[in-house]
Amino acid sequence: MRHFLPGTLLCASLIAAGPALADHCPSDTLSKLPEQLKDGGTAIAYQTNPAKIEVGKPFSIEVVACVDGDKHMAPSRIRVDAGMPMHGHGMNYTPSERKISPGHSSFDGMVFHMPGHWQITFDVYEGDTRQRLTRKVSLKR
Amino acid sequence: MTLRRTACAALLAGATLLVTGAAHSTEIFDEDEVALILSHGPWPVKTDPDPSNRMSGKPAAIAYGKILFESNDLSIDRQRSCATCHQEALGFGDGIARGFGIARVDRNPPPLYNMRLNRWFGWDGKSDNLWAQSIAPILDARELGMTPEILKARLVETPDLADGYRDVFGAPLATHDAETAMVNVAKALAAFQETIVSGKSSFDRFRDALAAEDKAGIDAYPDPAKRGLKLFVGKGRCDLCHFGANFTNGEFHDIGMPHFPAPGRVDKGRYGGIQHLRKSRFNLLGPFNDDGLRATAGFTRHVRLTPKNWGEFRVPSLRNAALTAPYMHDGSKDTLADVVNHYSEIPEERLHQDGEKLLRPLHLSDAEKADLVAFLRTL
Repeated sequence: MRHFLPGTLLCASLIAAGPALADHCPSDTLSKLPEQLKDGGTAIAYQTNPAKIEVGKPFSIEVVACVDGDKHMAPSRIRVDAGMPMHGHGMNYTPSERKISPGHSSFDGMVFHMPGHWQITFDVYEGDTRQRLTRKVSLKR
Repeated sequence: MTLRRTACAALLAGATLLVTGAAHSTEIFDEDEVALILSHGPWPVKTDPDPSNRMSGKPAAIAYGKILFESNDLSIDRQRSCATCHQEALGFGDGIARGFGIARVDRNPPPLYNMRLNRWFGWDGKSDNLWAQSIAPILDARELGMTPEILKARLVETPDLADGYRDVFGAPLATHDAETAMVNVAKALAAFQETIVSGKSSFDRFRDALAAEDKAGIDAYPDPAKRGLKLFVGKGRCDLCHFGANFTNGEFHDIGMPHFPAPGRVDKGRYGGIQHLRKSRFNLLGPFNDDGLRATAGFTRHVRLTPKNWGEFRVPSLRNAALTAPYMHDGSKDTLADVVNHYSEIPEERLHQDGEKLLRPLHLSDAEKADLVAFLRTL
């Protein structure tokens, strides 16, 4: 018994350390958000707020990400950023994440400071493994 | 839909958009160009009071701010004021390359038009609000050279300024500590500066005529300016950064200008600006923001510091450009023609390796350069 208790604690801590592996993503929300991306077993849905992105105006992106195909598991982490590949620069602002539930976050503080061709990148992590999905957005002057 | 209709109508109007110079008789603004031109207005832009400054838009504070702006009592030697380097007759600049208060500074005093439209202030954007930016020259040893304590003492011993302070802020100076008094002075200065708004320009009248399909108004705009405008939104792609009604995206770019104000001394540009901003007690996240919700602090909260910020400077508005010589952050371009020459033959080797890949020499002809200058002079 003396040796059983630390072992139990170890198991409990291991479970606590990896809740993302056990969490399901909100797959019902996945189908409701207007923009959809899919690559292999990873699916993303997002919407911007406001819906229309304007040059120089801050906006947020609500993202739902699911991994493991039909199992609809939540990734361990989502990261969102954007840049102008043809100009060779990113945003001048770093979005901050507001977690809503496992696999469901809102990223605030996005700003596209120039008109032209932007690319939004969604990095979905399962542990150390990253999968990148992208969406091109064109902003008129 | 409206733009499309306007553009089509303008095209159907035939001669209305024809540039009538013999060499350009077939030149015309196409539908996309019309849309781009219309995006530079209407002017003026309606603004609301600054929520971070409870004095913004208040007549008494504006009047007091004007007195402070012109008062030599705000300088340590009583020899100069804000108006020394920001002279109305010189486009609220001072007409010289680098400002000179008590000593020479490293940058050109920026014109003060339309400040309420700014997101960042100063060439490096070290301030996220106009009252913080107004504190900077008061404390800079090369400009007005004050300290908060001396400033408060100076106000106390100057009856008009002390009475004005009491009337505007509702409390005698003695009840405020020196830092609070300085911030209040800066907020009155900001309230005044917000009222410096440029009027409708020749370009604005053309733009409005275009929107209204007013042939006479369209025809009244000079042909060289029309050709320059076509370059501005076309081949030059100037409007990617000089965007919208205020002709600026309000952000920062490296355009290949030198950033060594003296041998061995580097001007960090935006990199230093963000560092300063984050340390400042006077930013919008700090205790002096009058808006408890910090509603306008999002840009400050999220601004990103990266190595590419070295050598970046704020994109200036082009409004009243003809009045605000010299140009660039260091005032090293004497004329608009010099500025156009810079972009025509931009020194690619000077651009930051992580910088804007969009910038390439335009290789403009002499006629194109003259047209671009003619357009800029109508702003």
